[in-house]
Amino acid sequence: MAELRSEEMVLNVGPQHPSTHGVFRLVVTLDGEQIVDADPVVGYLHRGTEKLAEDLQYTQIIPYTDRLDYLSSMLNNYALVHTIEYAMDLEVPARAEYLRVIVMELNRVASHLVFTGTYLLDLGAMSPFLYAFMERETIVELFNEICGARLTYNYMRVGGVKWDAPNGWLQKVRDFVLHMREKMRMYHNLISGNEIFLNRVKGIGVITQEDAINFAMSGINLRSTGINWDLRKNVPYGIYDQFDFNVIVAEHGDCLDRYWIHMKEIEESLKIVEQALDKISEGPVLGKVPKMIRVPAGEYYRGIEGSRGELGVYIVSDGKDKPYRLKLRRPSFVNLQILKKLLIGQNMANMIAILGAVDIVLGEVDG
Amino acid sequence: MSTEDNNTSDTVKATPTASAAAKPAAKPAKAALPPDPRVVAALANGETIKTALNQKLGVPIVVEVSASKAVPILIIDKAYWVQAVQFLRDDALQSYDYLRMFSGTDYPNYIEIAIHLVSRQHNTALYVKTRTERDLAVVPSLTGLFQGVNWEEREVYDLLGVHFEGHPDLRRIMMWEGWKGYPLRKDYSPFEDLDERGGNV
Amino acid sequence: MFHWESTPLTGISFLGMVIGAVVVLGIALAVVTYAIYFERKFIGWMQLRIGPNRVGPLGLFQSFADILKLLIKEDVIPDKADRIMFLLAPVIAFVPSFMVLAVIPFSSTHVFTAGLNVGVLYYLAISAITILGVVLGGWASNNKYSLIGGMRSAAQMISYEIPLGLSIVGVVLLSGSLNMNVIVAHQAKMWFIIPQIIGFVVFIIAGLAELNRTPFDLPEAESELVAGYHTEYSGFRFAFFMLTEYVYAFALAALATTLFLGGWSGPFLPSWLWFVIKTAAVIFFLFWVRATMPRMRGDQLMSFAWKVLIPVALFNLLLTGGLYLL
Repeated sequence: MAELRSEEMVLNVGPQHPSTHGVFRLVVTLDGEQIVDADPVVGYLHRGTEKLAEDLQYTQIIPYTDRLDYLSSMLNNYALVHTIEYAMDLEVPARAEYLRVIVMELNRVASHLVFTGTYLLDLGAMSPFLYAFMERETIVELFNEICGARLTYNYMRVGGVKWDAPNGWLQKVRDFVLHMREKMRMYHNLISGNEIFLNRVKGIGVITQEDAINFAMSGINLRSTGINWDLRKNVPYGIYDQFDFNVIVAEHGDCLDRYWIHMKEIEESLKIVEQALDKISEGPVLGKVPKMIRVPAGEYYRGIEGSRGELGVYIVSDGKDKPYRLKLRRPSFVNLQILKKLLIGQNMANMIAILGAVDIVLGEVDG
Repeated sequence: MSTEDNNTSDTVKATPTASAAAKPAAKPAKAALPPDPRVVAALANGETIKTALNQKLGVPIVVEVSASKAVPILIIDKAYWVQAVQFLRDDALQSYDYLRMFSGTDYPNYIEIAIHLVSRQHNTALYVKTRTERDLAVVPSLTGLFQGVNWEEREVYDLLGVHFEGHPDLRRIMMWEGWKGYPLRKDYSPFEDLDERGGNV
Repeated sequence: MFHWESTPLTGISFLGMVIGAVVVLGIALAVVTYAIYFERKFIGWMQLRIGPNRVGPLGLFQSFADILKLLIKEDVIPDKADRIMFLLAPVIAFVPSFMVLAVIPFSSTHVFTAGLNVGVLYYLAISAITILGVVLGGWASNNKYSLIGGMRSAAQMISYEIPLGLSIVGVVLLSGSLNMNVIVAHQAKMWFIIPQIIGFVVFIIAGLAELNRTPFDLPEAESELVAGYHTEYSGFRFAFFMLTEYVYAFALAALATTLFLGGWSGPFLPSWLWFVIKTAAVIFFLFWVRATMPRMRGDQLMSFAWKVLIPVALFNLLLTGGLYLL
């Protein structure tokens, strides 16, 4: 019998596509329904932040960091500001530290809500997206009150934060925490037990522990494989060592585990916010910093636990007020490398589920 | 690569509201700054690792040892780049198996590749760097040891022009194929020779 | 009232039949128009949104605006497409959806209903013709993605025809006839949903798959790669496919009402009103499921039909037959 002639088809997913979470292109080679090769093409959102930073004073770089992982601007701001403070050995006032923790953890909650909504939307369920954005709207409104912006906050400064919380803001945060805890039950009722959802994500896109370490993954992708590594506990920064929270680690490394860790991390972040609200005291929000911020000559790297993984800033300084080199270690960029390995051998329908679970934000992938 | 923190005097001088009492206190501080104990410990650690490395590989491959706050920095001869990192990853006493950061920097005379390794087992950290010339910059690739540096090396290739030997798929990642020039280099001007470079498409 | 089948065919009765058909078509189109509007409204409310509210009072003219928009679009036919088949596919898909409405008893006076003795069989057979239109649309577009989408859609619809048919057999057993009017008459004491609850569940699930609605809408999902059989259709031809889907939704809901929910029977209110209420309830349930459920994967969908629904439907048959004998 003659061999059946089969052709491989090359398919282009993106750069404009509803499920690729941004301008991202995936060139997929298909053999029937099976993926034979997958080549992610990035760089559509590359804006040259690192090059621009070489001509900007440190405080002027902060708005640029907002736009990296635009869903968690507070965390990006903090990564830069913390590295500078670490390099200069600057003291940050206590109130500023607690405000920072509150906004960072709230931003983490908002970012995880976007993940939940958009992941379910990719899988076909339209409603969780709107419910998730409803809760996120409250958080974004809180941020609007404190710093004037809804997405790109530009809130942190070297030595503290720019604006103090307005009257009643802390009480609103407390109310939100209680409200969100109740809502988590609704999300679990709607999504977590749904047979169709479980069938689509359970056992899909499994990452092994060796692969996770070898591919330098971080954040939720790493913890879904069973490795307990959270920078807030392992390499503590700021005042995180004062808070009592759990690091959520899963076992199987599949997409369902990643979804669960996102949901559980929302609850842990709410715990941290509550503890911070209890401990916060009055005081200044910006410490004593020199007018012109000069990082002493040398090189410094600090990584924080961003909502997608390890967000790091590497500063090489020659003592001037502008960095000689600013390198951003972007978690989505590094995590995305495993996509090729995960997709080969899968069928097309699982591609969307796997890509969604890696949880990338294109601003961060391209920098 | 000196990491002594000698900026305290700048800090005090720059603050306009510094009281008169603060100024005389600054002067004795300027005189003798005790070395940062973290840096001293880091340098000692670095020396230990350097000895271990040199011993293992037989050749003095570590060019320099310095420190950034509490983390030792080793600068390694690029010919032994892969072997050194492999030793650091696989040796039981070192076991630096998690790579946190990979970066390239353009200096006036050389391009430097820096990686930040972490040993989860021993809870220690280490920077390892290597240098290469600016023209014909070639560095052996670490993709055989850590698959997670694949795209990082591509980015350094794209933006700094360092060719990584042994990389399975070295092509531009941020800029598109056909772009000429290496944007992150210090002598790159975005406005010259735009057509030649592939801009103005 | 009108016994078309027993009176000889005269010019007047023929004219009456044509007018009747036009009226039913008008009703079907009106139902579809407002079904689309209410779907958007209900799903909006379930998602904490308002839904369309700009065009006309409370947004009631939204569907008309959409239809007008589709009508005035440029008629694009792909260059290499098979022209005749391309033009024919939407028609083949739509006409059966309207034809099946002939056997559904809308009210106790059976004004526009053909009292076919094989009503149920007629429904199943005619609704299967739509699958031809779907495959034809996929093929004629000369687009490999449309073809794959059309094939998938056809495979899904064919697979789910079987549980659909099997679930209806239980009702037929209990009422002893394929004639829809007789089936409704038999439900005067007790709606068939009660003894046939398993059959009803299978019917609704298979019906959802027949309609290509969530959770079975993989062939036409926007967030999937392959865009489906109606990719190349624009303007009014696309509207035909959409119309088909919604007229079928109405037809399926009407069938569910007739077979399981007692048709037009009910106390106090006029019979047609009961029919409207029950059909509307089923349609609302279809919208509700769309707002809530994620999408099933293609292979899971097929294995669900063959490995789960058909055995359950057969079990239901066994049960019904056994209990009927007793």
